[in-house]
Amino acid sequence: MKHLKTATTALGLTIAAASGAAAADSRLDAALERGKLLCSGHNGSFLGFAEVDDKGEWKGMDIDLCKGLAASMFGTSDGNLEIVPISWAQRWPALQSGDIDVVIKLSGWTHSRDTELNLAYSLPYFVGAFHVMAHAELGAESVADLDGGSICVSAGTSTERILASYLENNGIDAEVIVFEKGDEVKTAYFNGRCDGLILFAPPLAATKATSANPDAHVILPDVLALEPEAIIVPEGDSKWLDVQNWMLSSLWFAELNGITQANVDEFKANPPSAQIGKFLGATPGYGERLGLSDDWAYNLIKEVGNYGEIFARNIAEPYGLPRAMNNLYTDGGVFYPLVVD
Amino acid sequence: MTKTYRAPTLWDRIRADYFSSRLNTALTLTFGAFVIWVLWNLANWGLIHAVWSAENRDLCGHGGEGACWAVIDARWRLIMFGLYPFEEQWRSAIACCALVLVGILSCVPWFWNARRISILWVAGFATFYVLMRGGVFGLTPVFEQNWGGLSLTLFIFAAVSLLGMPLAIVFALLRRSELPWIARTMGVIIDTIRSLPLLSIMFTFAIVLPFVLPGWMIGDKLYRVIVGYALFFACYQAEIIRGGMQALPAGQEEAAKALGMSYVHRIAYIVLPQAFRNALPPTINQFVITFKETSLVVIIGFFEILASGHAAFGTSEWNFAHVEVYAFVALIYFVFVFALSRYGAYLERRTAIAAR
Repeated sequence: MKHLKTATTALGLTIAAASGAAAADSRLDAALERGKLLCSGHNGSFLGFAEVDDKGEWKGMDIDLCKGLAASMFGTSDGNLEIVPISWAQRWPALQSGDIDVVIKLSGWTHSRDTELNLAYSLPYFVGAFHVMAHAELGAESVADLDGGSICVSAGTSTERILASYLENNGIDAEVIVFEKGDEVKTAYFNGRCDGLILFAPPLAATKATSANPDAHVILPDVLALEPEAIIVPEGDSKWLDVQNWMLSSLWFAELNGITQANVDEFKANPPSAQIGKFLGATPGYGERLGLSDDWAYNLIKEVGNYGEIFARNIAEPYGLPRAMNNLYTDGGVFYPLVVD
Repeated sequence: MTKTYRAPTLWDRIRADYFSSRLNTALTLTFGAFVIWVLWNLANWGLIHAVWSAENRDLCGHGGEGACWAVIDARWRLIMFGLYPFEEQWRSAIACCALVLVGILSCVPWFWNARRISILWVAGFATFYVLMRGGVFGLTPVFEQNWGGLSLTLFIFAAVSLLGMPLAIVFALLRRSELPWIARTMGVIIDTIRSLPLLSIMFTFAIVLPFVLPGWMIGDKLYRVIVGYALFFACYQAEIIRGGMQALPAGQEEAAKALGMSYVHRIAYIVLPQAFRNALPPTINQFVITFKETSLVVIIGFFEILASGHAAFGTSEWNFAHVEVYAFVALIYFVFVFALSRYGAYLERRTAIAAR
């Protein structure tokens, strides 16, 4: 599967490079002209980021960013957004072939993707940690306490590699038990087949929150690895990349200044500062330079709220995952808005 | 006194079959107890302690006592129809029924001639397509990427079988051609496609082809995948049909030739009917495999029934209920595959009578 993926991507890229060099048009212009944003969905669901509700509508953090992007471009996402369901393996070829305009699919910023695959990354919008969860009755307080025990992991994912290198680097002698599917790993852990379970933080929190007895499990504080997740566009389309970066920045700017979905109208009517007035489009300038309407940030916040609201709605409330590193810098996190001038 | 013959009662037969010796009695009791124990546990989990209604979700034991069928109650429309727009799902339901109906009707011998069956299927597919895709008669258009669930699974299966079957016959005939270069080329093509995994064929057709084909030939990726899958199906089925043909004595075709029958007549009236009868069990097998492997389209982002099952439990409320969702999806697969196998068995009996 891996090789197939690489081969098809490489083939796609070669052809795209050969034929597409002339296409200097930005994806932004193409999407605006089409009147519709084609954003990445999921072939199933990824807890907290892309889920399907009872009525077959998409929801989740990645989906909210898609909606926000569509609202920034068109004023509202309603009728202007198409969520295209794609698999993990499909996302890069689909981006290159134009099946989708942008990949917002919890995809990590890695060296090989950035360099070899000709992808361009926005600012990370989520920093995901890999944690180990253990049965509370073991009394383990760190991964080192699981020395001599066993840890369950899914096969063929980056998680397996991360666990192996962490155990090796720290001289921890734990048995690694590999399972093929995510459901199997969880079932094995809950049936006591292994002492610990390693997962990416959001699904791990979800697993704990939905287990029979959430108090019987502890998520150990050690961070085995970090993965910064970012929005991805094709390389060489700086106009389109700018829109992604400023959309994310605007979400953080709004949160920092206390602008929410509920009070954005008030802020727009009586901006407390000239900067916020410009930000919300009360005075011109913020949109034109990006090729968007001047009130695009207002539309964005009106549609999905600020970053904190998106996080709370999709991740914190349903799954109880603390914001931790994903806070603004003012609350000890890693996120900060760019300068609005 | 003469002993009159008494027909064995049910009890006699049971005693003879299951309790004829001490060993048999022991085996019967042991396995009988085991089966009852398994069934009892299953009923306990699936029926007695189960939670049925979505309103009672809080009673679900999170993988404890009984099954949580509440997840099906809440999410069945997602499983059956995937991402199809909620208000329009009646269209998907009718389209699905239309395909099933066409499938059932084509099992009725009355439809077994070229004209009737082609009219039936063209009508069936047209109904399906108009209902699903919309855009005419005031129906809102729904694009292929939002099709999903059972109707998508059935559509892929039906389309692949219908495209693949004639293709398979052509492939099989070409491979048996008396012109060596045709036969050999066909052999190489069949063997090449058979040595590639289905997954990679689907991936290539869905994702690589748009880079190589001219714009007007691309079409939606759903149809590209169906064409790729049909090609794959045809290569396997061609070999099955060829096997059926090889089982025929050479004298049959020679006799037909001697009677002055044309090639088309020889193939259509002498060779193919007998070849199909010989090849019936593996053909049914191939259909069953094809039905199950439609689930592979998930790799190119389609919400066929297994993927929409994943989506059904992939949310904070129902994340614990994957066993129930899998059981439900398995039941749907079972209904279709079992019906297919039973129909195959019926066909075998029927053609066996004709052979006598």
